[in-house]
Amino acid sequence: MSPDDLVGLSNMPALAGWAVLLLAPRGRLWLDVIPALVIPAGLSLLYAALVLAHFASAGGVYGSLAEVRQLFSSDWMLLAGWVHYLAFDLMVGAAMAGRMDRARVIRLVQAPVLVCIFLFGPLGVVLALVTEGALRLPPLSRLKGASA
Amino acid sequence: MTVLTLSPVRPRPLAVLTAAALALLVLTLVWSLSDARLIDGGPVWAKPMKFALSFVVLFGTLALVEARLSPAWRDGWLLRGTVVAMAVAMILEMGYIITQAAQGEASHFNFSTPYNAIMYGTVMAFGAFVLVAGVAVFGVAAARDRAARDRAARDRAARDRAATMGPALRQGVVWGFGLTLVLTLITAFTLGNMEGHFVGVPAPDAATIPLFGWSAAVGDLRPAHFLALHTMQALPLVGLWIDRRGGGAAWQVPAAAVIWVALTLGLFVQGLLGLPLIRL
Repeated sequence: MSPDDLVGLSNMPALAGWAVLLLAPRGRLWLDVIPALVIPAGLSLLYAALVLAHFASAGGVYGSLAEVRQLFSSDWMLLAGWVHYLAFDLMVGAAMAGRMDRARVIRLVQAPVLVCIFLFGPLGVVLALVTEGALRLPPLSRLKGASA
Repeated sequence: MTVLTLSPVRPRPLAVLTAAALALLVLTLVWSLSDARLIDGGPVWAKPMKFALSFVVLFGTLALVEARLSPAWRDGWLLRGTVVAMAVAMILEMGYIITQAAQGEASHFNFSTPYNAIMYGTVMAFGAFVLVAGVAVFGVAAARDRAARDRAARDRAARDRAATMGPALRQGVVWGFGLTLVLTLITAFTLGNMEGHFVGVPAPDAATIPLFGWSAAVGDLRPAHFLALHTMQALPLVGLWIDRRGGGAAWQVPAAAVIWVALTLGLFVQGLLGLPLIRL
């Protein structure tokens, strides 16, 4: 199988995980673990296999932009990097969804924040953390009058 | 870990929206440090920043008013539905404004592609209408919420000044939220049907008013639009001030409303005549 085939194959479970995170109900353990653990773990196994097989032959490490470019000039390492994104973004997305649930952020507001984590990782994390933090601090935490 | 416990009180959706708008404001602040591109002479991040700040103030104001309504109104289908519609409008507006700005493209007055034309001419216009109409719905709720009014009277009798809306504040909310809809429709939809927000053509290096970016050389309809939008803060603040001074006559808030409307329409006509707010 070529790196090209594997990109498509690894995108599919990641997309499925994001669909669960965005649309499925929460609070059922078997469903919650799919985006939080099962799919990230599968992608992590794939990453481990790729990086063990191809890191050394790509040449270059993490020390400078030139070395990183050299590393990713290998299609196999580029694929590994992409799988790394898929695995970590989904895992972080699930963790942020859990945090937002615990801060009682409504799902309608969670959805665009999670889409931002899906597309732009850390940018969405900033949105999630500031939204959660602002809700937990006065004056917003003092706006009670909640009935449920 | 204490941060990971369930929030003890479920926050109102309006508090969540205020927090989300604040997060967008933080995002635009870091953006402003990293992007030197311009759209129509202004930094690309300026409009997203102004809109994010606007949404913080809008939803914060509504959250403060909602907290002073009776549970029957607060949890009724009318206000809950209104908040959901406003949330969708905010997500669409901010989503479009940010993605356009990040591409160095204008979001308003941009008809360059069919997508841009539909987003600006239909989606954004409808979103803006939903937002100001939602404000007016809260004004109606404040006017008709008899239970909250009775509770406020009891609180006053018990000298509990902090708990609910005093009579002048209630008047300010009713007048202010209603007039926000009327004045914004007049100013914003005139603005939206023009080619841009200027009346006249400013020189490329013409002076603008700092922070706001309004023209200080030619007519600009945005000052009137600004006053129109913030009727919803101005009149409730007048009412709050009257209540804090121990109450006043029933004509005082309506009188303030008349002055505010005159001021807004005055700036509107000034802009239409091609005169800047202040010449710099």
